[in-house]
Amino acid sequence: MSRIAEHPILGAPEKGRLVTFTYDGRPMQGYEGEPIAMALKAAGVMVHRYTAKRHEPRGIFCAIGRCTDCVMVVDGKPNVRTCMTPLREGMTVQTQDGVTAKVPEGGAPTDGKA
Amino acid sequence: MERHDLIVVGAGPSGLSAAIEAAKCGLDVVVFDECARPGGQLFKQIHKFFGSKEHKAKIRGFRIGEELLKEASDAGVQVVLNATVLGLYQEKEVLVRIGDEIRHVKGDAILVATGASENTLAFPGWTLPGVIGAGAAQTMMNLHGVKPGERVLMLGSGNVGLVVSFQLLQAGCEVVALVDAAPRIGGYGVHAAKVARCGVPFYLSHTIVRAEGTDHVTGVVIGEVDKSWQIIPGTEKHFDVDTICVAVGLSPMSQLLTMAGCDMADDPKKGGYVPVCDETGATSVPGIFVSGDVSGIEEASSAMIEGRIAGIAAAKYLGYVEQAAEENEVHALETSLDALRQGMFAPKNRGKDLRETEEGCPISQNLLRKGYLSDEEVFAYPGVRKIAGVHPVIECTQNIPCNPCQDACPKGCITIGENITSLPVVNPDAQCIGCGMCVASCSGQAIFLVDEDAGADTATVTLPYEFLPLPKAGDKGQALSRSGAPLCEAEVAGVRSAPAFDHTNLLTIRVPKAYAMRARFFQPMEGGCAEWANQWTVPETSAPSFRGPMTIC
Ligand SMILES: Cc1cc2nc3c(=O)[nH]c(=O)nc-3n(C[C@H](O)[C@H](O)[C@H](O)COP(=O)(O)OP(=O)(O)OC[C@H]3O[C@@H](n4cnc5c(N)ncnc54)[C@H](O)[C@@H]3O)c2cc1C
Ligand code: SF4
Ligand code: SF4
Ligand code: FES
Repeated sequence: MSRIAEHPILGAPEKGRLVTFTYDGRPMQGYEGEPIAMALKAAGVMVHRYTAKRHEPRGIFCAIGRCTDCVMVVDGKPNVRTCMTPLREGMTVQTQDGVTAKVPEGGAPTDGKA
Repeated sequence: MERHDLIVVGAGPSGLSAAIEAAKCGLDVVVFDECARPGGQLFKQIHKFFGSKEHKAKIRGFRIGEELLKEASDAGVQVVLNATVLGLYQEKEVLVRIGDEIRHVKGDAILVATGASENTLAFPGWTLPGVIGAGAAQTMMNLHGVKPGERVLMLGSGNVGLVVSFQLLQAGCEVVALVDAAPRIGGYGVHAAKVARCGVPFYLSHTIVRAEGTDHVTGVVIGEVDKSWQIIPGTEKHFDVDTICVAVGLSPMSQLLTMAGCDMADDPKKGGYVPVCDETGATSVPGIFVSGDVSGIEEASSAMIEGRIAGIAAAKYLGYVEQAAEENEVHALETSLDALRQGMFAPKNRGKDLRETEEGCPISQNLLRKGYLSDEEVFAYPGVRKIAGVHPVIECTQNIPCNPCQDACPKGCITIGENITSLPVVNPDAQCIGCGMCVASCSGQAIFLVDEDAGADTATVTLPYEFLPLPKAGDKGQALSRSGAPLCEAEVAGVRSAPAFDHTNLLTIRVPKAYAMRARFFQPMEGGCAEWANQWTVPETSAPSFRGPMTIC
């Protein structure tokens, strides 16, 4: 698990309620209000999208909303910067392939490969 | 149209400081920031700041941020978050997007404090998930409590690269190497030394050959570069990592000022394309001011003072303060700013290969190339004296603007003097009481308390310790050298924590006497120690004559 339980300077991180959302069709948990990208990172998800032309994987790069590498399809809307968008209960988060979802909602879970 | 006396763009340390001063002068001030929380980079800084008391030295960055926010709200500053300024026009009008709405807002004066963006470096594989900016690493671990990776390689040895490497270690990540193409470490020696003693190897004159992995980073290859920055064949080294962290400098985010028609200049000493401005931050367009990283990359302390100066200057521009009052206040702030801009790392010394300190001590080339002082070199500095009984050993060997150690000592053991970049001097006649305030106050974690003769052929070394789990008295482990190499067996003689130490714990370890001036870090025992004992037989410099008794196995 890549969450820091207790930090030597900052103590235990203050977090919201633990909520469930779906990532490429499968249930996943994260804390309400944290950026979606943090919940995914903590769960070990690295690839957020594949580029349109060359189909290359992209993931978090700047974590402050500048680079657009982390965009995904969130609640059906593409190009959502997951490092800036707070997680809410029941959200559907999908790997973006070009400008659409890689796996349709309810479809087979992705194996993470192109 | 909505109108304000002063519009500040950016709620980082600089923008907030400007807004506070202007509001105190009676201006109606609004601050726009595109982030969901104010504070800019400050809330990610968890180390104790340098400078002197007036610069809030020895206070951790995020605490300074909390103080600024309180000061801003007390002064009546209105901060609007999630508000991105898209345009700035000569007639001092800004175009701001708040949520889905786009608004035009007019200011009688404008202050731009948009800070800087991180530079990136293209190498094969640099777009793979797992290659992240240093700022992203800080955001993940210090704001959201998520580890950026398990095994990380850091590229960049400036202060950002060094500070973030240490923070990665504090977050429980392993830092496998710190790499920089330059031949010398760019940041403060004290920052490098605290990373090196944890065992992180430094590879100067090296760069990344490629990142490996198909869907995300699984490894990295680095290689040594020659004078023309080409990889020397045969010098490649491979590391298994899941994360590559890039800290290769910052560039001012000055686009809004270009848009407003301000005169601009390309100034490498300031980090790139910056607006031309006077010492109060006034640009070529009357009523448009700048402060902080956008006007030249420095650090947070200077960004705050520049902000205060520009805030007062904006108030004067609008007629809220008298010329004389402005001159007085600005003069005091400029003196304070000037104190920070001295020493080896001052903007005017950037890129120079200095060989001696202001005092004439040699500048350690080991420190610049490997991140640590050699065991012999350390005696060349005025902070290192042989004294009977417990005494401070100050391994702070470059002229940096910093003096909390001097203020901390109740017994007058440590002197820096008027000039805050001078090296700390240990006064051999003062009586150290071992209170540890100097160790805990040192922003660079460069002070150790040593008792070279603590009985039974042992010595004690007290060191700053900001990691978890915190060892306790009686714990066994091994002492590490300045380079992080295993040295000898060590036992924890005591651990002190106090509110006044602000999360810097003082760990006192007992080591064989011969290691008093070499043991600088402690590694608790996790596995069996037989394997460790093997390592101790490999001395890193001259062979130690003493081998610790193997009582712990
Ligand atoms: C990764 C990293 C690590 C650092 N580590 C240290 C350190 O350890 N010690 C140290 O002293 N300094 C450090 N610095 C430098 C220090 O943080 C800066 O010098 C300081 O924060 C500069 O303050 P500022 O107010 O000018 O800019 P910032 O703190 O960057 O604040 C600028 C603000 O402007 C906002 N903004 C930008 N553009 C717009 C826009 N168009 N509309 C609205 N808002 C906008 C941003 O959201 C941000 O909040 C670091 C910087 C970085 C990037
Ligand atoms: S331990 Fe206390 S008395 Fe000794 S040098 Fe440090 S601050 Fe001064
Ligand atoms: S020894 Fe003094 S001057 Fe040097 S880093 Fe520590 S507090 Fe600052
Ligand atoms: S990681 Fe760069 S925009 Fe989200």
